[in-house]
Amino acid sequence: MDMASILYLGVTFGLFIIFVLIVRNTYRRRNKEEKEAPKYRMMNDD
Amino acid sequence: MGKPQYHTDIVKSFVNWSLVWGVVAVLVGVIVSFQMVNPDLNYPPYFTFGRLRPIHTNAGIYGWGVGTIFAMFLYMAQRLCKTPLWSLGLAKFQLWLFNITIAASAVTLLLGYSSTLEYHEMEWPIDIMIVVLWVTFSINIIMTIIKRKEEQMYISLWYMMAAIIGIAILFTVNALAVPVSAFKSYSIFAGTNSANVQWWFGHNAVAMALTAPPLAMFYYFLPKTTGVPIYSHRLSIISFWSLIFMYLWTGAHHLLWTPVPDWIQTLAMAFSIMLIAPSWGSVINGYLSMKGQWHQMRDNYLVKFLILGITFYGLQTLQGPMQAIRSFSAFIHYTDWVPGHIHMGTMGWVSLVSVAGIYFLLPRIYGREVYSIPLANLHFWLVVIGQLIWSTSMWIAGVLQAGMWNAMNADGSLTYTFTETMVEMYPYWWIRAIGGIIYLIGILVFIYNVYMTVQKGKEPAPKLLEVEGRA
Ligand code: HEM
Repeated sequence: MDMASILYLGVTFGLFIIFVLIVRNTYRRRNKEEKEAPKYRMMNDD
Repeated sequence: MGKPQYHTDIVKSFVNWSLVWGVVAVLVGVIVSFQMVNPDLNYPPYFTFGRLRPIHTNAGIYGWGVGTIFAMFLYMAQRLCKTPLWSLGLAKFQLWLFNITIAASAVTLLLGYSSTLEYHEMEWPIDIMIVVLWVTFSINIIMTIIKRKEEQMYISLWYMMAAIIGIAILFTVNALAVPVSAFKSYSIFAGTNSANVQWWFGHNAVAMALTAPPLAMFYYFLPKTTGVPIYSHRLSIISFWSLIFMYLWTGAHHLLWTPVPDWIQTLAMAFSIMLIAPSWGSVINGYLSMKGQWHQMRDNYLVKFLILGITFYGLQTLQGPMQAIRSFSAFIHYTDWVPGHIHMGTMGWVSLVSVAGIYFLLPRIYGREVYSIPLANLHFWLVVIGQLIWSTSMWIAGVLQAGMWNAMNADGSLTYTFTETMVEMYPYWWIRAIGGIIYLIGILVFIYNVYMTVQKGKEPAPKLLEVEGRA
């Protein structure tokens, strides 16, 4: 594997870590209400 | 606080023009399908399959697809942000530029000017027009989002942002070229790099133009139509980020068994299979949102369009990963199987959700009830049947074609010549053309219904009145 492919995989892995953090933040129990609120609020945007 | 005065006239104009380009796309599609069964229908130099095919694909993706994206995003952004559009003037300019760009694309393609890059055939002057068009649109939507009165962003806004940023990056990179004359340029990429960039663009165009925007519409119109919020906003957010994370690496699944480095192909294959999860995250979210509401499939024609649409998306995102596996790709690549896949996505998923959006909008932008629900139901059945005939005939044709190409005699020579395999395709190409005509009739019924709604539709219940100054 050359430098370019290591970089390519490195960026992929970096993004994966960010993704894991997003999942953790979204599914934290104490964030539940806040994260679900937009689906109710959009119902009366007309 | 008073209700914001949303701009609806501009949405109307985009709906109307996207319908015009949609009819052009389907009509040219039917013409090229007949050119395949009867080559005498080619009239060189202009009216040949080679020149009409890119007009069909570009009118479909950019005229109908992107035209609808413009209409829906301009409509949804205002409501989800609870604020009028940032600049009406910019949107009007965008409408003009959009139509000029699509018309210029059609004319230059007919004249034979082509960059030869699939789904990006227009030459460099038109590329510049497209960039200006997209920047104009992006600024307006992004500024509307920045100015929003809602702190948290609903999932549709996330998908809209992704489409806006994604298309800008993909298109610009793939358009990098050196002009050598007024209508000819050469890409700055060459060899396997060129192929890799082209399919990074190609597949992510599928993601950012044919997946993210219809998902934005689906998440908006399904709850609005059923009157019940989506099952889980958190699931939609996770599906969104995983989709964004995974799509970017999949382009090389179009290049399996080519000189593109093996590890890039393997990465594309692995990520394509992983893509099932975020895609089905949205499908399952859609189905679970229907809990206790399934009766609406019978009572509410809009729900039928939306649920069939997401079902085709679900099937498409199981079939796609299968096609991305090396052994399966070796069998179906280059065959008619692939157009079967494409058209389940475009005629099924994207178009069903887009027309549901348009039906939903009609009373709200024209202040009139949809003229005829029975006609809307007829439209539904014609397009679903037309599309199923279209796709199924091509899947069968593709398997037959692949089987014949792979057949070998005991001495290792090929059993069939290429011409023999072509001859076998004719019945399937006929069936496809008939499926296309049924679909076209469905679209004409839809246009008639829209026209009659505008002309003769009844005044809707006051709750639906949202036309400027009347609400
Ligand atoms: C999980 C999602 C998907 C995956 C992994 C996937 C995979 C693939 C693969 C591997 C091919 C290449 C087939 C070949 O030539 O051998 C392909 C072609 C194509 N797919 Fe999908 N697909 C997915 C979803 C979609 C969706 C939702 C659409 C929407 C319309 C779509 C539209 C297309 C188009 C337009 C092509 C043709 C490209 C060409 O001209 O060669 N796909 N897909």
